[in-house]
Amino acid sequence: MAPILVCLILVLCLLISVVKYTLALILKWSVPKAVVKKDYTYQPTVSVLMPCFNEGKTVYETIESISKSNYPNDKFEVIAQDDCSVDDSYEWMLKAQRDFTNIRVRVGRNTVNSGKARSVCNALQLSTADMIISIDSDCIFHPDAIRELAACFAEPNIGSVGGRVGVRNPNESTITAIQTFIYYAAFQVYKVPENWTRSVGCISGCLFAIRRELLLELEPKIRSRHWFGIPVNQGEDRFLTHQTLLRGYGTYINNDALCWTTVPSTLPNLFKQQLRWRRSIVRDLFYTLRTLPQHVWTLHPNTVLTLVLTPLGALLGLLVALTMLSGNPMEWAGPAPLILYLGLAAVLSWVIRKYSAREAVNNPLAFGAYLAWSLVSSLFITTLALCTLDSKDWGTRTKEQEAADGDDAHQEIAS
Amino acid sequence: MATMPIKKLPANPKSPMLQPLIYKSVVTIYRIFAIITLYVVLGGVLAYGFVMGFYALNTSWAAPVILSPVDDKSLDFTEKLVTSRQTLEELNVDKKRLEEGVAEMNKHKTALLALEPELQAAIVREKKHNQATGPQLLELDKQKQSDNLKTQAVMAQVKQVEATIDKDLAAGLITKGDAATQRAALNQAQSSYTDSKIGEVLLTDSILEKTTTDTKSLDVLDKQAELISEIAQLDIAIGVAQKQLHEENQQIDRLKQALATAKQTPYYLTASGDTTVYFAFVPYDNRNSVSTGTSVYDCYLNMIACKKVGSVKQIFSGEEHAIHPIFRTDMRGFLIQLQLDHPESAKSKTVFLNRKPLFF
Repeated sequence: MAPILVCLILVLCLLISVVKYTLALILKWSVPKAVVKKDYTYQPTVSVLMPCFNEGKTVYETIESISKSNYPNDKFEVIAQDDCSVDDSYEWMLKAQRDFTNIRVRVGRNTVNSGKARSVCNALQLSTADMIISIDSDCIFHPDAIRELAACFAEPNIGSVGGRVGVRNPNESTITAIQTFIYYAAFQVYKVPENWTRSVGCISGCLFAIRRELLLELEPKIRSRHWFGIPVNQGEDRFLTHQTLLRGYGTYINNDALCWTTVPSTLPNLFKQQLRWRRSIVRDLFYTLRTLPQHVWTLHPNTVLTLVLTPLGALLGLLVALTMLSGNPMEWAGPAPLILYLGLAAVLSWVIRKYSAREAVNNPLAFGAYLAWSLVSSLFITTLALCTLDSKDWGTRTKEQEAADGDDAHQEIAS
Repeated sequence: MATMPIKKLPANPKSPMLQPLIYKSVVTIYRIFAIITLYVVLGGVLAYGFVMGFYALNTSWAAPVILSPVDDKSLDFTEKLVTSRQTLEELNVDKKRLEEGVAEMNKHKTALLALEPELQAAIVREKKHNQATGPQLLELDKQKQSDNLKTQAVMAQVKQVEATIDKDLAAGLITKGDAATQRAALNQAQSSYTDSKIGEVLLTDSILEKTTTDTKSLDVLDKQAELISEIAQLDIAIGVAQKQLHEENQQIDRLKQALATAKQTPYYLTASGDTTVYFAFVPYDNRNSVSTGTSVYDCYLNMIACKKVGSVKQIFSGEEHAIHPIFRTDMRGFLIQLQLDHPESAKSKTVFLNRKPLFF
C-alpha cells in the first residue's frame, strides 16, 4: 500500500513538474504579462549590503564589480559587514574602500560572529536608502544588475526582486558542471511560472533586493528567528521571500540582473551547502504547513503550490529513493534515466552555449553524474536535514568560528 | 518610491513563561528522536551496503522456487507432455502396422522366390526332353512320309480294285455281299491312309514344337518375367516400408528420449507428483557450490544465524531465467530439487548451499 501511495504522489509531483515546465516555456515565449514592466527611469537610492566571512580577496573583487555598476554613483553605496573573519577579508574591504572612491563604500565589523542574516541586519543599521540589496561576498555583479533590480520596483506591489545567479566556474569539475545546468534551468525555466504570479518561492541570497520599509519591518523577525528557542542563522533568503509574500507583496526574479557565483567544486562542500539549503527548505515547509490556512486564504494558489509542493518534492524524493532501492536497487543505474539526463544535458548545453556562452560547459556528459548525486541528495541530505534542524552549523565554517548567539552582535564601523 | 501598505501578521499568543520549557522539551525529544533516526539510517545504510556487497561476492546462495501444477510453465509443459505421449502411441501403432506389412510382403516374396527355380527347372527339363525327342520324331516323320508315299501308291491300286469289284458284281462273278465286304475293306484302307496323313501332319507339329520356340514357350517365359517383376516390386515395397519403419523407430527413440528427459525436469515432477516438491534456482556463477547431496542452509535475514534445513536431491540441466532476489536483475542458471526437512524454508528469499555463508 505504502509504495503505491508513494508512487501516486511521485506521479502527481512529476505531473505538476511537467505542467510547470511546459507552462514556463509557453509563458516565456508568448505571455508578455509574465515579465514585470520595468521602468529604468525609476532610480531609488540603493544600499548594497555585503556580509562577509572569510572570503579573502574575493570581497575586493566583489566590491570592484559593484563599483562598475551602471547606476548613478550618488544614488548607491556599498556597506560591507565583516562577520569576524579570521583571514584578511577585513583588510581587503578596507582596501576596496580606499581604491574605489567613485562610490561610497562603508565597512563594518561585527564584534562577535553572528551569521549572515544578522550581519545583514547590522549592515542595515548604516543604511538610509530606499532599496536594499543584499549580496553574497563571493559574487561578481553585472554592471546592469542594480539598474535592472531597481527598475522592477516601479511595480508597486513588488516587494522583493532577485537576480539570476550564474556559475563562475562551470568547468572546474564535474560537480560545478552539474550545478551550472541546474542553476541555469532553475532561473530560466523553473522560476518562470512563479514570476508570472509574482510569487517566487525563494529569491537567491546572492542578489536579493527588497524595499527598505519591508526589510525594516522584517528585521526584528530575522534577528529573533529561532527553531524552538535555537537561533536560526541560515536560509534568510527563503525566509525573507516567504515573509514578503505573506505581507501581501509580490516577489520576482529578473533574469537580466546578473551575478556570478563560485559554486562548490568538491563533494564535501556541495554536500554541506545542499544540507544547509535543505534544512531551510524543511523549516520553510513546516512553517507553511503550520500556517497553511493563512497561506490558502491570503496568497495566490500558485504561490501556495510553490511553497508547498517544491519542498514537499524534496521530502518525497527520500521516500521514492527508499522505495526504489528496496524494490529494485539497480533501477537507477539503468540506461533509461541516464539517457534522459544526457538528453536534458544536451539540450541545456546547447541553450547555455547559445545564450550564455560564459557559462558554457565543456563536458555536458558530466550531467549523467547528476543521477547518482540526486540519489545521494534524496537519501542522505533530506534525512540529515530532517534530523539536524537544531544545527547552527553553516557547513563550510569551522566550529571555532561559530558564534554562540546572534542578535546582540556589536559592530565596529569604518566609514 | 511607490509602495503598498505592509500587512501585519498576528503575534504569537504563547505565554513567555512557558515557552522556554516547552521549547527545551521539544528540542530534547527531537534530538533523541533525531539521534536514534540517524543511527538507524546509518545502520540501515551499512546493512544495505553489506547486503549488496555480500550478494555481489557470495557464490553459494540459491533462491527457493515453489512450482505449482497450475503455473503457466507447468501447464504448458503438461500439455506438451500429453501431446508427445499421444504422438508416441500413434507412432507405435503405425510401426506395428508397418512391421506386419513388411512381414507379409517378405512371406509373399519368399513364396515367389521358391516358385521361380521350379519354373526354371521345368523349362530346362522340358527343353532337354524336346532336345531328345525332337530328332527322334523327325526320323519317324520321314519314315511316315515314306510310308504314306507307299500307301498312296497302294491306294491308287485300290481304285482299280474297286472298279474290278463293280465289274465282277455286274458279271455276277461275286455276290453283292462279297462286293460290299470288298468295298468296306477298300474304305478301311482309304481311311487308314487318311489317318496316316493326319498322323504325319501331327507329327510335323510335334517336331515343330520340340525343335523351335513356340508360343507356349513364350507364355512360360512371360510368366517367368511376371514372377521376377513381382518379386522386384515386393523388394521395393519392402525397402520403402523398412525405411519408413526405420524413420519411425528413430522418431520413437527421439520421443522416448525427450520424454525421458522431460521426466528429469522439475515441471514433470510438479505436474505428475502428488506430493509437494521443492526447488531452488541456482545462478551459473554459483554452480560450483552445488552437487547432489550438498547441504542446504536457511538463514535469518538471508545471511546470519543459519541452520541446516535439508540437502540437494537432484540437479536439473535445463537453463532457467530468474530475477536476482536482491539486485532485481535478470539472471541465467538452473534449478535444483531440494529435500527439505523444514518446508518453511521453501518460502525464504534465499538459501545457501554447502556451508553457512558467514560461518554462523
